[in-house]
Formats: sequence, structure tokens, C-alpha cells
Amino acid sequence: MPETPAEALPLEDASVPAPAAEAVPDGYQVRLDVFEGPLDLLLFLIRKKKIDIHDIPIAAITRDYLEYLERKTEINLDREAEFLFIAALLIYIKSQMLLPRETDLAEHEDPRRVLIDRLVEYEKVKAACSLLREREDVQILQWKRDFIPPLAGESELEPVELSLFDLAESFFLMMKRRAADDTRVIRGRDVSIEVKMKELVALLHDRQMIDFLPYFEAHASLEEALVSFFCILELVKSRVAVAVQDELFQTIRVWLRKDARRTGAHE
Amino acid sequence: MNDLKNLVEALIFVSQEPVTPERLESVLEGVPAADIRAAVDALAADYAADGRGIQIIRTGGGWLFATKPAHDREVRRLLQIERKNRLSSAGLETLAAIAYRQPVTQSEISAIRGVDSTGALKTLLEKKLVKIVGRKKAPGNPLVYRTSEEFLLYLGLDSLDELPSETEIAKILEEEKAVDA
Repeated sequence: MPETPAEALPLEDASVPAPAAEAVPDGYQVRLDVFEGPLDLLLFLIRKKKIDIHDIPIAAITRDYLEYLERKTEINLDREAEFLFIAALLIYIKSQMLLPRETDLAEHEDPRRVLIDRLVEYEKVKAACSLLREREDVQILQWKRDFIPPLAGESELEPVELSLFDLAESFFLMMKRRAADDTRVIRGRDVSIEVKMKELVALLHDRQMIDFLPYFEAHASLEEALVSFFCILELVKSRVAVAVQDELFQTIRVWLRKDARRTGAHE
Repeated sequence: MNDLKNLVEALIFVSQEPVTPERLESVLEGVPAADIRAAVDALAADYAADGRGIQIIRTGGGWLFATKPAHDREVRRLLQIERKNRLSSAGLETLAAIAYRQPVTQSEISAIRGVDSTGALKTLLEKKLVKIVGRKKAPGNPLVYRTSEEFLLYLGLDSLDELPSETEIAKILEEEKAVDA
């Protein structure tokens, strides 16, 4: 732990490239990705030169900044564009400052204003980050009771990525079982998805959790089972319900998401 | 008083979400809010003292039991889980930008950071630390983001008012400058 945690970020992010720069003047490599972005790089340069952020010597800073960009070896077009944008802004500001004026500019007309504002704001965000990081470091060591040993190695907070194939597989397994002892007469009964959906949600509310296979086996007709299956797919898709299978070929448990239970998002 | 203390202890214990003062008041009908408050404070002080493995933390607008940080390793061994990952710097920066400027759009966040923040924002949404609260009435109707309840719990903040203040931030900046100089 550094003495002032605020140092942690600049140490990680900013001081790294500097020593390398002095050590190997020729095979110089600056990894721009150690900076979060162009503003981060700019702040680093400003600090390094101990410049007052409100009175930036644009020419000098632009030179340093461009030097850094030129040393960059790998090219990532997206990030490059962001760095170049600020480079262009720097050059634009310089050109504005060079223009002869009839009267002196008032402070708020300083062409550097737009850059200063952004830097000051970014600097604040960075400082806030170091404070928030401290909190995070403590918090992640504290375990709360909402940590229930996960049902399937995942807590409900994580969106459950049960593939449709898993669901479908269980379904077909169930159908196969049904086919094996399909001696009953299949009664014709129209079941609509809406009705079934309401039934299913009510059931989930009631029982908290249902077992997929027994639930289907309880259905009298293939049609009704199919409709229920679609309902479950729909509920999982619309994130009202969660379906978890502990192991392959095992039953799938289905329950309502916590937030859905609370807000009645299924309505 | 002791009865009340025991009572709130039980209530906080069984709860997996922060128990708000309002919740306690509605459960403990007729008990003055100040008494409840005093009972919880006394209880929290008991737990904060040495000789306890758990504590009562104030977070997300209420109280919650949590293990003390010192026991992290063993707790994880029991639950058989890996160390929790910190957010990446990009993630944290994006989160801070949202926390301080909310409600805010993706392009506003990106402007603050000077970097495209779409990816970081997606991760934060997946982690449920931020949420979409609507669309801005501006060209393109961009989505508007805010921090979530989980965000408060994640950082152990009672409310957004507990975010580091301008003064605290200014102090950090002063310190950094002092170090540089």
C-alpha cells in the first residue's frame, strides 16, 4: 500500500514509460496503452514538466505530446484517432494563440480554455478514481450474506448463459421418455401461450423454483408441454426467469429472477 | 434497550439486502425511530470491537452484516471461489464519470475521458453497476445512464452523497502535486 493511495494510479499509469524513455534512447518504446487515453497522457506530460494546468505552454506541450505519438509503434486505429484528435486540438489552439489580435483577450476567451476545462475535469475524475479504488479494495474483501453458495457455480447477478440447446436437449430427452410410454389418449385441448405463461409465472411465484423435467412430465398432452416449453424460453429470454442446469443431462431448475419477483416485471 | 438491540440484530441478520431505517420502523411498529437508530448504532459498535469476525456495515441506504476484510482468504477458501477482481482502470474511470455526472450519455462519458467508452460501459452494465434510465431528448435520442443500487453496495456507499466530495478530490490533487514537486 503506498502511503497516499492517490499515488497508486499515477505510479502505475504514468511513471512506467518515463524511465524506459531515458534508459533506451534508441530502441525507445512507449506503450501508449499504459495511459487511459490522450488526456491521461497530457496530464502526465504536464505533471512531469511541473506546469500549471491553467497556464499551459501550448507549443512545448504539443511538441512533447507529438513526440510520444511518434514513438508509438503499434497501431490501433481507434485509439490512434483519439490521440490524434487531441493533437489536432493542441495545434489548433496554438494557431489561435498566434493570430494577431487588436485587443488583448479576456481570460474566458483564452483559446486554451476548452482544453483546460477538459483536463481539469478529467483530473478530478482520476483523483476520484483513486479514492473509489481504495473503497473497492476494502469492499471486495468483505463478504455479505447475499452471497449464497451458487446453485450452479454462478450467482444470480451474473446473467445466466444457459444455451437454448441445453434447454432444448432437456426437452427432447423428456419427449423421448414420454414417447416410451405413450399409451394414453391425447386429449385435444387448446392452450394459449398467454394462459400458460400466467399459469407458469403464478406457479413460479408460488413454489419459488420448479424442476423442469417433472414439470413437463405432469403435462397431459404434447401440445401443452410444448407451449410450456416456449413459455419458459420466453421467460428466460425476457429475463424474467432463470434456468440453471447443474450438469449435462440433468434436470433444469427454473426460478423467477429476484428483480422480476419484486417488480412484477412479468406482468 | 437490550431487547431492541437483540431484535434489530436478528432482523439485520436474516436480511440479504440492506435493511433501511424505514424498514425497521415499519417492522417494529411504534418504536421511536431514534431508539431504533440508537440500538443499531450500539449493535454496530459491539461488532466493530475486536473479537468479532463479522461487522455491521452501512451501505446502500441500510445496514447489512458482512465479514471483516481480514478474513477474506479463509472465507473464499470455504466458499471455494477466486479472489474477486477489481474493476479495470478504464472501468473504474467510466464508473466515476457516470457517478459524478449522472444522468449521462455514452458520448458525454467518452468526452470526459477523451476515450471511447462503449466497451467499458458494456462491462459495467453487465456487472449491473450502472443502469439505463431512459433516453435523452437530443439528436439520436441517446441512452442515459445512472449508477445502480449495486454500485452503492459494491463500493460500500450509503448513498451517492457519500461519493468523495470536491474537497476530498482537491486534497488528493494537492497531495499529488506536492509529490511531483
